[in-house]
Amino acid sequence: MCILSLIDKRDMYGFEVIEKLASDIDVNENTVYPILRRLTGQGLFETYIEQTNIGAPRKYYQITKFGKEKLEEYESEWKTFLTGVFRLLGGNNNES
Amino acid sequence: MKADYIRKLKDQLEEFEASRADIDDIINDYEQLYDDALSTGKTDDEVYTFLGDPNGVAYDLIDTLKIKHHKDIRNKVIALTPFISLIIFMILGFAYDLWHPGWLVFLLIPVSAIIMSTDRKSGIIGLTPFISVLVFLFLGFQYNLWNPTWLIFLLIPITAIILNTSFKDMFVSLSPFVALITFIILGTYFDLWNPGWLVFLIIPMLGILQKRNKIQMLILELTFIIAIAFYLYMGYVQNNWAIGGLGFILPVATAILFGDVTFTWNMPKGAERKKVIILLLTILLSIIVFLVLGIVLNGWVYAWQIFLLIPVVSIIAFDKFRFTSISPFVAIILFFSIGYFFDSFYISWLAFLIIPMAGILENA
Repeated sequence: MCILSLIDKRDMYGFEVIEKLASDIDVNENTVYPILRRLTGQGLFETYIEQTNIGAPRKYYQITKFGKEKLEEYESEWKTFLTGVFRLLGGNNNES
Repeated sequence: MKADYIRKLKDQLEEFEASRADIDDIINDYEQLYDDALSTGKTDDEVYTFLGDPNGVAYDLIDTLKIKHHKDIRNKVIALTPFISLIIFMILGFAYDLWHPGWLVFLLIPVSAIIMSTDRKSGIIGLTPFISVLVFLFLGFQYNLWNPTWLIFLLIPITAIILNTSFKDMFVSLSPFVALITFIILGTYFDLWNPGWLVFLIIPMLGILQKRNKIQMLILELTFIIAIAFYLYMGYVQNNWAIGGLGFILPVATAILFGDVTFTWNMPKGAERKKVIILLLTILLSIIVFLVLGIVLNGWVYAWQIFLLIPVVSIIAFDKFRFTSISPFVAIILFFSIGYFFDSFYISWLAFLIIPMAGILENA
């Protein structure tokens, strides 16, 4: 869901996704590429190649319509889950 | 470092028999990731940690790969071989009354499993036990040459060494086998057990050739030649082999002086230590049992089988245990023992069926 959310904001290349993700949450960097590839295989992303000024051309990941739908679904599930957790913990949340 | 990383990843993906398109795609992506990571100032070691171990990466990607179609064809060939063999066997039997040696066609089953389910190199190594057994049985039954034909079984480790060792190290690795074969032939046909054992000296003499210090190398080789000449002179001219043997103190002392022979015991620790001890004990035990069976019971015909215990123990101790890996050795022992001791070679070939059966059960 985090990867979907990142790429939903703007198209990104592989290394960029890994770095951004690793800077915000505690994640093992080398697990990100397999997830990217899996999600692309499932049709949540599509890729395109863009030339760069330095080095070889880069592969960019772009979210698909199906990817956006899935992201909405996951976000909704995640919010419901968090609301439940906050309620259990007795804390405040936006809906209470 | 980058080339090394990419090569390892590519090798592992090829071993999974991933499609060319998948391999190219992943390799391109990882080349890009590697370059991007390097451009941020990371060292090669840091990039390695960042991207992960290439073998581990390949395993993580396995569910995203399309496996080549020919693997399915191979599996079909393996599955069909028993039926094809049975049809050929029936035709040979009913039409030509060749039930024996027509049963040999059933050897196609394990042979096809070995050829089809492994790469070319492993296939050749896997076939050597069959070639060895067939040559051994043929020369044994036809010419009663059980000894020294058992030496043919050395073909198994020799083939493995030739196919897996660099050209430079090949001679040193093969020297123990060449020495053993020469020693047995000299002993059996010319009764030259002594001084035939001297051929074993080619093992250290070839090893010494790889010394960096060429002067020390020449001196050491010279001491061996002097010791051998002295031994032969004392034995043949003075008829005193025991005194002649003292000449070998010279190369040993020189090697100690040059630091080639040290008495430190670099035994690995923990679990590795236990494994090494088990393997060494197995080798020692195999040699003792082989010699006892051969000399005391004149059992050279079947005693060689004890040596199959060495690769089996090695596989169990050092590799991930898979019955598929040890099944060829178990099959040979069953095939030969049932055939030889119960005079039932016409039925003992069935033992070879455990090889494809083990493969199918473990890979299912």
